[in-house]
Amino acid sequence: MATLVQPRPGDDVPRPNLPSASNRLPAIADYEQVDRDIIATLGPTLGWFAALGVAIVCLLIGASAWTYQIYEGLGAAGYHPPVMWGVYIVTFVFWVGIGHAGTLISAILYLFRAGFRTTIYRVSEAMTVFAVMTAGLFPILHLGRPWKFFYLIPYPNWRLIWPNPKSPLVWDVFAILTYLTVSATFFYVGLIPDIAVLRDQETNPVRKRIYAMLSLGWRNSEHEWRHFTRAYLFLAAFATPLVLSVHSVVSFDFAMALTPGWHATVFPPYFVAGAIFSGIGMVFTICIPLRKVFKLEHIITLNDLDAAAKLCLFTSMVVGLAYLSEFQVAWMSGNQFEQEYFWNRVFGQWAWAAWIMLICNCVLPLSLFSQKLRRNTTWLFLISITINIGMWFERFVIVVPSLSHEFEPWQWGGYAPTWVDYSILLGSFGWFFMWFLLFIKQLPVMAIAEVKEIVPPRMRRPADHSHDLDVGYPDSAIVLEDRL
Amino acid sequence: MQGVLGAFREIDATCDAIAELRKKNFSEITVFTPTPRHEFEHALEPPHSKVRMFTLIGGLAGLTFGYWIPIWISDYWPIVVGGKPVASWVPYTIIGFELMVLIGSLSTVFGMFALARIPRLTMTVGYDPRFSHGDYGIWVVAPPDRAAEAADLLRQYGAVEVRNER
Repeated sequence: MATLVQPRPGDDVPRPNLPSASNRLPAIADYEQVDRDIIATLGPTLGWFAALGVAIVCLLIGASAWTYQIYEGLGAAGYHPPVMWGVYIVTFVFWVGIGHAGTLISAILYLFRAGFRTTIYRVSEAMTVFAVMTAGLFPILHLGRPWKFFYLIPYPNWRLIWPNPKSPLVWDVFAILTYLTVSATFFYVGLIPDIAVLRDQETNPVRKRIYAMLSLGWRNSEHEWRHFTRAYLFLAAFATPLVLSVHSVVSFDFAMALTPGWHATVFPPYFVAGAIFSGIGMVFTICIPLRKVFKLEHIITLNDLDAAAKLCLFTSMVVGLAYLSEFQVAWMSGNQFEQEYFWNRVFGQWAWAAWIMLICNCVLPLSLFSQKLRRNTTWLFLISITINIGMWFERFVIVVPSLSHEFEPWQWGGYAPTWVDYSILLGSFGWFFMWFLLFIKQLPVMAIAEVKEIVPPRMRRPADHSHDLDVGYPDSAIVLEDRL
Repeated sequence: MQGVLGAFREIDATCDAIAELRKKNFSEITVFTPTPRHEFEHALEPPHSKVRMFTLIGGLAGLTFGYWIPIWISDYWPIVVGGKPVASWVPYTIIGFELMVLIGSLSTVFGMFALARIPRLTMTVGYDPRFSHGDYGIWVVAPPDRAAEAADLLRQYGAVEVRNER
């Protein structure tokens, strides 16, 4: 039987677990408990060391494969004409997409005042920064001479050459670097007050000194908060169009080419919706085990997951609509190359990949129409894994079938990733999770100050809730039923 | 700087104390709170933050720079394609937009740092670690002849601890 909030171990004080408009986290008694419960997650455990070890081994496998590829050349990675883009570009787009949910949750949902973001946004922001760091490796991995990557950056140089600013690949450089910088800045700014909490609670002098430096002498004065909240608002306002622009720019890598299946104006919104969809999938993949392992079910409540699952369902349907519109446009275009390509996509040599994509991204997420399944964390976790798989295959279906089935039969060919591709793919997950695991034991996984904002402050006089609107929890009836 | 520091457990008691201090003409009041609360904005009535000016100026500078870079590159290293402009503003809007966001965001953070006076090397007077934990604090600058009055007032409104600091 599902309950909204799991009782905390050692908590002898019985509290009602029913949220209300004035108290969204009924299992949290006061601000001090927020600090205690979140800071308790920082102690390293054996399981954490084991997970970190696995991540580092995966990373080393990827690094070894890359070393081999640099020595042997890009042919070691299975690239042969006509397919010169494969797993690397697929994985690049995949990780950029994963990186979108963080800024969506922290910036767009902040502007929309969506309360459910409060408890999951720190994890999502960290995920964004590390995912973009991972994505940024792939264009470099894809270079035959990766040490020349800086040729893409426009700066005065003795070669007197410049990148072509009309090329989507150069737009990518600007978009990805901007996104990485702004996401990391947004992440760090949000962390400053929380690091100050760690500084004030820390007893180890070395760690205290490090936290003191990282918190920049933050004192929690109203004066600081006033400028902080303003700056945070403007950063969110900048980050919102940035989220939309970055994956649009990534989609231009394809849409600007004349290749069948790529040359479509629907690509920017289609890519943005897909990115948000895959990012939310990864948020579930990370948050569900996290709340279980760290015993944070009373903070990341089922209501929060339920709301995020609705967003996931919505973006899944947008992605499904984009898939259908691609077929419709090909059908109505009268362009035989386009029609041939789309027929080949679902019934030709890459049909297996296309059907994995369609089932994982369009069919299985429809189960989230059921409120019972939206509140079932096991189901949500399984769905999130299928979304990750489906969205990787979506990018595979976009990249490989188009290149292997261009205009004329002499241009047609095949593609088979080698062990180098698979190893680097594995290494990218190792790289991402290594950073993430390091993060969760050094810094708070939740925004302590923002969680405190949704905890009612201590009052001398009893608070007046007569004006509260009971609109935040439309499914409170179900919760009540569970309690009964 | 000499003054009195009071630590409070309840937010409404803190706001009441602020109102009373302002009534008694204590003008230099600093409030510490573990999380931003509108109640303090109402009690203190501070001026609007000027962070927005940094955002605007940074954004406009970034936009200008973002157009200038590709135009200058195209002019310096022209790729001449028959009948087409060497520098075309439409694709350059992407770079202009990205740099507007980049420089605008960074200048917003710089503005926040400058206005909030951080990074700060020391905590200075009037801070207590409990203010990041769960309590509220009021630091009021008071000359020696008014320190006792301020301390009494803070105690009267429910401060759990009051101390003089300099």
